[in-house]
Formats: sequence, C-alpha cells, structure tokens
Amino acid sequence: MTSEYIVFEEKYCTGCTQCIRACPIKAIRIKNNKAVCITSLCIGCGECIRVCPEGAISSAISDEEPLEKEKINVAIVSPILYAQFPGFMPNDVLLGLKQMGFDHAIDLSYYLEMFQYAVEEFIARNRKTNMAPWPLISPICPVVNQLIAIKYPNLLDHILPLKHPAGLVGNEIRKKLSQEHGVKEEDVILYHITPCFSKVVSDRSGLMAELSYMDKAIGINKIYPGLLQKMEEIKDFELNLFPYEHFSFAPGARGPMWGMSGGEIAGMKLEKVIAVSGFKEIIAYIEKIEMGLLKDMEYIEFRACSEGCLGGPLTAVDRYLAKSTVQKFLKIFGIGRRVQRKKVHMLYEKGWFFSELKPSELADSYYLKQTPLTIEDIKKIENLISVIQGNDCGACGAPDCKTFAEDVARGYADVEDCFKMRQG
Amino acid sequence: MPSFKKCFNIRSRDFIHAGEASIAVQQLLKQMHVDSNLIRRIAICGYEGEMNVVMHGGDGLFCVEIDKNKIVLNISDDGQGIKDIAKVMEKGFSTATDEYREMGFGAGMGLPNMEKNADNMIIESENENGTTVQMTFFTKSA
Ligand SMILES: Nc1ncnc2c1ncn2[C@@H]1O[C@H](COP(=O)(O)OP(=O)(O)OP(=O)(O)O)[C@@H](O)[C@H]1O
Ligand code: SF4
Ligand SMILES: [Mg+2]
Repeated sequence: MTSEYIVFEEKYCTGCTQCIRACPIKAIRIKNNKAVCITSLCIGCGECIRVCPEGAISSAISDEEPLEKEKINVAIVSPILYAQFPGFMPNDVLLGLKQMGFDHAIDLSYYLEMFQYAVEEFIARNRKTNMAPWPLISPICPVVNQLIAIKYPNLLDHILPLKHPAGLVGNEIRKKLSQEHGVKEEDVILYHITPCFSKVVSDRSGLMAELSYMDKAIGINKIYPGLLQKMEEIKDFELNLFPYEHFSFAPGARGPMWGMSGGEIAGMKLEKVIAVSGFKEIIAYIEKIEMGLLKDMEYIEFRACSEGCLGGPLTAVDRYLAKSTVQKFLKIFGIGRRVQRKKVHMLYEKGWFFSELKPSELADSYYLKQTPLTIEDIKKIENLISVIQGNDCGACGAPDCKTFAEDVARGYADVEDCFKMRQG
Repeated sequence: MPSFKKCFNIRSRDFIHAGEASIAVQQLLKQMHVDSNLIRRIAICGYEGEMNVVMHGGDGLFCVEIDKNKIVLNISDDGQGIKDIAKVMEKGFSTATDEYREMGFGAGMGLPNMEKNADNMIIESENENGTTVQMTFFTKSA
C-alpha cells in the first residue's frame, strides 16, 4: 500500500489507529486491521510517519540505487542538511558528499537569497498594481501548496508564482556542468537532498513544476548515516586536498536559517509579514484568509512542519537540536546579504524567477479528488451522525464519526462497520 | 428536491468559538463542490454576520439552508436589536467599543460587505427585540 509519498508496510502494522487520527486530511482508514491510505488525497505531510509506533510507515522516495559512475552526479543541497551535524561546519558536509561519490555538491543558500530578493520585488510591485490579492503566500512549502490546491482552490492566486530556489539552480547548473565536463545534459544527474517531498509534488502535479529539473530526490534521513561516516573520515584528512570550488558553501547563516520557521522572511525588507508553522496553525490562518481577513498582511511564510523545515518528515535529527545548530551558525556567520541587487533585478526583469504555470491556473486540474456530495448525501450523513451519537472511537476504521458517515454516503464503508450500529 | 438545513448556536461575546459556524458551512459547501468563488462570498458574509452577533447581538442561531438553486444563510439573535437599519447599513458606521476596535473590528464595513456579497439581503429587527439577517445566494443563474 503506497501513495506517491508514503509506504505502508502491512506486516508491521498493528491497526493501532494512531495514523488515522494524525492524518490532517483524513486520508487513512483501518480496513481488516491494517492501515490503508486513500492515495489520491495524500499530500505528503509526513504526520503518519511521525506517529507510527511500529515503524510501519516510511517515505516512498529512496536512494537505494548507487550513483552511476560514468555520469556527472550532482548533489543539490538544502541547507537544512547542515543543521543535522552539530559537530561540523557546512563545508564539511559538502566535502562529505563528494567523498560519497558526488562530483559536485551545490549549496542552495545563495539561491535562497536570490529568491528572497525576488519576493521583495514582487511585493513592492504588487503594492502598486494590486494584481495579486493580499496577503501573498510563500510558494516554498509543497504541503501548503497542495493543501491550498485541494481544499482552498480559490486562494491559489495568493501564492506567489515564483520558482522554488532548487528549481532555479537546477536549470542553470545542468547547462553549466554539461559544458564544463563536455558531456550531454542528460548525463548530468541532479539529486535534490531534501527534508520533504517537494520534488514528488512537482512530478505528480503542475505545482512546483520547476522541481522536475531535479532527476532524483534523496531524503536527508536516507543519506545521513553514510554521510556522517564519510565526514568522520574527512576529519583526519588534509583539508587542502580539496580544491576550492565555486559552488562550495559561501559563509553566511541565511541558508541554514531558512530551515527555521521565520527563516525565509528573516531580514527581508518587509514589515507586514508573519511566519506560521504547524499544520493546525496554518489551517487556522488559511481559514482566516478565506473569510476575507488578514488583508493588511503582505506576506505569510507558511510551513506545514512545526518549527519549519528543520522538522521536515525526512530529516534525521530532532528539530530542536537542529535549531540549536543553526543558532550556532548564526553566531559564527551572521546574516549579511551576499547577493547583488543589480544582478537579481536584471534576472527578475527577464522573468527568470517566475514559474511556468501560475498556481491559480491549476485550480481546475488539481483540486478536491473526492466525488462531490449531493444534498441527499449530506442529509444522510447528518442523519447517521445523529443516530450513532458516537464519540469518535475509531473502531470502525475511520478517524471520527463524521468521516465514517461520509464514507458510508460515498459507499466506502458499511453502516455495520460501526459497532453501535451493529448493536442496533 | 427537498432542501438540507442545519443550524449552529452562537453565543454572545464568545470570541473563542466565534467563526466556527461559518467554517463548518464552508467545509460542507466544499465537499459539495460548490463554486469556489461563491463559497468565498458565503464565507465572508457568514463570518461578518456571526461576528456581529457575537459583538453587538445576543445569543443566536446560524442556519444554512441548501437547495438546488440557492443557499440561504439565516443569522438571528435575541440581543438589543437595531433601531435604525438604514443608518447601520452606511459604510463606516459602527458602535463598536474601543475594546473591540483594538481587536481589529469596528470599521463599520461588516454589513455593507455582506450586502455587496449576497445576492439578496434582508434585515429584520425591532429595537430591544433581536435581529435577523437573511442572505440568499443563487447557485445557478435561473
Ligand atoms: N446583530 C446585531 N445586533 C445589534 N446591532 C448590530 C447587529 N449587527 C450590527 N449591529 C449594529 O450595526 C453596526 C454596523 O455593523 P457592521 O457590521 O457594519 O460594522 P461593525 O460590526 O461595527 O464593524 P466591522 O464589521 O467592520 O468590524 C454595528 O456597529 C452595530 O451597532
Ligand atoms: S515545512 Fe519545509 S520540510 Fe516541511 S513540508 Fe514544508 S517545505 Fe517541506
Ligand atoms: Mg460587523
């Protein structure tokens, strides 16, 4: 049983019901004592992975295949990776990746900073044109994007139509490196080293399409053990064995900070901004926007994972430990800006930052994957809920009585699955 | 086809639960794949109406009635009522206290916005005798 994001391993599942309650979009049921996912609804938030006490749920993206020697293998590194190694510096991490066999390890920090400029620019212009509705929403978190696409499609035009920084890099780097190495573009293989399922989103929908420039995704948690081992080995090495490389980590804590809630907006020249993290919290805010509130805010950094991407479903260490590592980088590197405004400005004018498809153009193709309920259905549902008079016990396999009643109306479940109804 | 009707209680001055009825209605309409622009209008009207009851009215009832061609919100309360209906419909008119203004309310835009977003709105009120606001939204252009 798998969705594009998640694998459920039946043999370990005890049917304990933890995951059905944790799933924020109610996409999991227990059938015949095993967890089953309504895959078309899954948005890859990873909540089920986090709560499963049996380790029966894991990520569906894998790094099982070894690197292909004859290709140019490139690691595109989310700076969240640095925060996983308290005893090391960002450059150690990049070197470790090279020791693992990557020909290049490219730090995303610089591109994150470019992205921040683009956001400022977009907002400054929108103040004049009012083309997009306030408040604007950060396009970074794939879970947020999908949540909005599926449940709040009328808010899609609040999402900035800017490319994810990893997508910005991908396009550039492939060309550059294929020239540098004199190989075909398709022989440059880009690996997105990531805390979450952002790339998968681009593969399955038109959202964040720029991430399909990446050939593969590797979860931080998958690469962690091997990388740590290589990094320990390097400690005993002569550092100058490694030539300086254009793409290595350029000191600055802006990149690593990106992983904390508020890290994207930190240091932006904007005042009416707010960072919200955690699924419950973002839903509360999204609902406010839907009711026409928060119009006096200009930009909202939503992150589905609480505390931000440091708490991503594919990270390796505890989010608070990771945060403390980032705070250490902050002390050492500061958060000065390195990107030149002029250059960014030029690229912005050229349209370099813009996604090929605006999120709002996806409203029709990517939303509610469930069949609509009719007036008859909702009557049946209300009626059933009042007959059951239950307390969301979960014994029927649905997370709560309301969802069970909906399942019955849709024909996914039988009234008799509820023990109260069986007793008559 | 018979219609579906559901009501929610609203409690006067209960800011913790304020807005929940509108959210529940919104969710229901989404599950029915009602046009998202229409849902947005209903959400705005529902929320403004619900907040008015919480702030200015008494305890009340928030009812939604859905049938094939239209959706009706009926928001009533047993509070102080409205003396001069024409007056409260003016943009910017508000009797909100300083305390409410600090919470971000009191622009006097609630009722005008409701009128703008609903296809039809009727307010009935007798001073001291509560208020009923009924808003109709047509789902299909008849
Ligand atoms: N249910 C009600 N009971 C009694 N008075 C009401 C009720 N609803 C509205 N009013 C009166 O009408 C006035 C205008 O309402 P309106 O919703 O337009 O503005 P507001 O609630 O004061 O401010 P805003 O909605 O912009 O936060 C209120 O200030 C209040 O005096
Ligand atoms: S908060 Fe960050 S790690 Fe979590 S899903 Fe969103 S982008 Fe990915
Ligand atoms: Mg009002």
